[in-house]
Amino acid sequence: MSQHFLDTEGPGWVERGIISPEQLQQLRALYPEQPRAIGLLPILGSVLVGLSALSVVAANWQGLPEILRLGLLIGALVGAYAGSEYFLARGHRGLGVGLASLGLLLFGASIVLTSQLYQLVGYDVTGLLAWVVAGVALTYVYQSRTLLLLTVFIGAMAQGYSVGSLSTYSYATALLTAGGLGYYWWRRPDGFCGAVLATGLLWQSALLIEHLHVKITWFFVPAMLVYAVGDWQPDRPAARSWQAPPLAAAFLFMLGLAMFGEAGSYTDRLRPQLVGFLGALLLVLLISVAGKRARGRLGSTADWLLLLPGYYFPGGLPLAVAALVVLYAYSGSVLYRGFREQAPERVNLGTVLFVLTTMVAYFKLTWDFLNKSLFFLLGGLLLLGLSWYLRRQARTLPTTDQPPTPQP
Amino acid sequence: MLTSPLFSSAPEQRRRRVQLVVAAQVLFVLLVAVAGYAVSHYGRTVALRTSPIDPRDLLRGDYVSLNYDISQVPRRLWRGEDEPRRRRPVYVQLQPTAAGYYTAVAVYPAAPATLPADHVVLRGWVGNVWRQGLQLRYGLERYYVPENTGLGLQRQPLLVRVSIAPWGQSRITGIEKLPAVGPK
Repeated sequence: MSQHFLDTEGPGWVERGIISPEQLQQLRALYPEQPRAIGLLPILGSVLVGLSALSVVAANWQGLPEILRLGLLIGALVGAYAGSEYFLARGHRGLGVGLASLGLLLFGASIVLTSQLYQLVGYDVTGLLAWVVAGVALTYVYQSRTLLLLTVFIGAMAQGYSVGSLSTYSYATALLTAGGLGYYWWRRPDGFCGAVLATGLLWQSALLIEHLHVKITWFFVPAMLVYAVGDWQPDRPAARSWQAPPLAAAFLFMLGLAMFGEAGSYTDRLRPQLVGFLGALLLVLLISVAGKRARGRLGSTADWLLLLPGYYFPGGLPLAVAALVVLYAYSGSVLYRGFREQAPERVNLGTVLFVLTTMVAYFKLTWDFLNKSLFFLLGGLLLLGLSWYLRRQARTLPTTDQPPTPQP
Repeated sequence: MLTSPLFSSAPEQRRRRVQLVVAAQVLFVLLVAVAGYAVSHYGRTVALRTSPIDPRDLLRGDYVSLNYDISQVPRRLWRGEDEPRRRRPVYVQLQPTAAGYYTAVAVYPAAPATLPADHVVLRGWVGNVWRQGLQLRYGLERYYVPENTGLGLQRQPLLVRVSIAPWGQSRITGIEKLPAVGPK
């Protein structure tokens, strides 16, 4: 609550007898004046001056002597961190961390521009790896979510470049993202950071699968390992955000199987060697279930329904139907858990998944047998009926304001 | 729970760590620069011939695109057991010619164990594969020049000097115009 708000609204409350003047004083004491935010104008002014300096340098970059270019890069780098320290010391955390992020970006730019300065070609990802290391270190030093998010992106880019342009997989980058940033998130769990970091890890896994040239279904072993880590995370809301990306990937994959699995022409490419793959997946399942048990969340084991390896079915209709059954079972389990735990947002999610599955099922199973107008009529009626039924169910829930009752 | 020194937030400690991390970053940037000098100092210099490419394409902003003679090699130079694949790293064996520049004599999927003393190996990647030959990429295809000064490098063959360091890095150390000559 801002002091300004108390100043303008407070006297009115006193007048109406909501609070006494003494209580207003107490409230003021409770919310002491924040250190003055820095005026906007000096910041804008500095940004403009900085931009003009930047454009002068950029326009003449190639013409400047090497040593001066190197000096400018290092000067800007050190300047950004020094500025960050200056503002942090004066309690402006946002600006301080912002400048530290700028410093990290300048570090990457310095590596690239210095290599370019000497026309230097490297055959590995050392430069970008150094950038990731710096990002992880700064995340811990400043204890900052911003820097964590930035480092996830830098790691994703480094790995993309490594696999795409150098044809090597940088295991160090993947380990730094998983271990360095992962451990930070583990100790400082946070929903948004969890979702972004988990997505970053899925990206690292996908590139590994691409690099190793193995069947794409192997992707779900590391992806579900990410999911299983969430099962051990004590902070439940953060763990849910962390687990959303791997679950979304599994759901979309299954949806794709239901839609296109019928073709059967490429299902061959989805079948890894049976024993090795299922063994690895089972191992991850065990880790996950053990975590769920330890944290008392066994109800969410139904998530693993999405991982049923339906692609070992022969292609064609059986595969599509098997995928649909799995999708229905999963959305049903989300709905059921939503109702049982009285969690409205989960009921909504379950509804969306249920409707999505129904649309795919309907499209899949009737397209060949019905003419189009009947198709749309029946489809519309089905969706309307479904939404009416689900809404009626949802109305029996308490409103969102009430905290959901904790699970036994 | 947050007792680990990694998560300490004492301002004194933070300041020391910031100084350490920033110093390490500055050091790394300086090392990149040092590597630049080291490559030309310790590396072996080879001269590579380029041929002019479409002049409209030659100059993009502040760099010149270079099309080396060794950017396209005949398929018979391939020394791998498997077929060459796009984006795979390769090791190109270069041999000096009487004319003063180097030509490719073999392309390996892994570093060759033995080489004649006057031969060098340049690393690259397979850009494209077709029946008759291979398109190779070396990461040396751009030469950065001050803006709008690259025009003089158009339309004629160039001799590009490349230093190859024993530890694998390489850099362009010089570029000069060759008199336009007919086909060999």
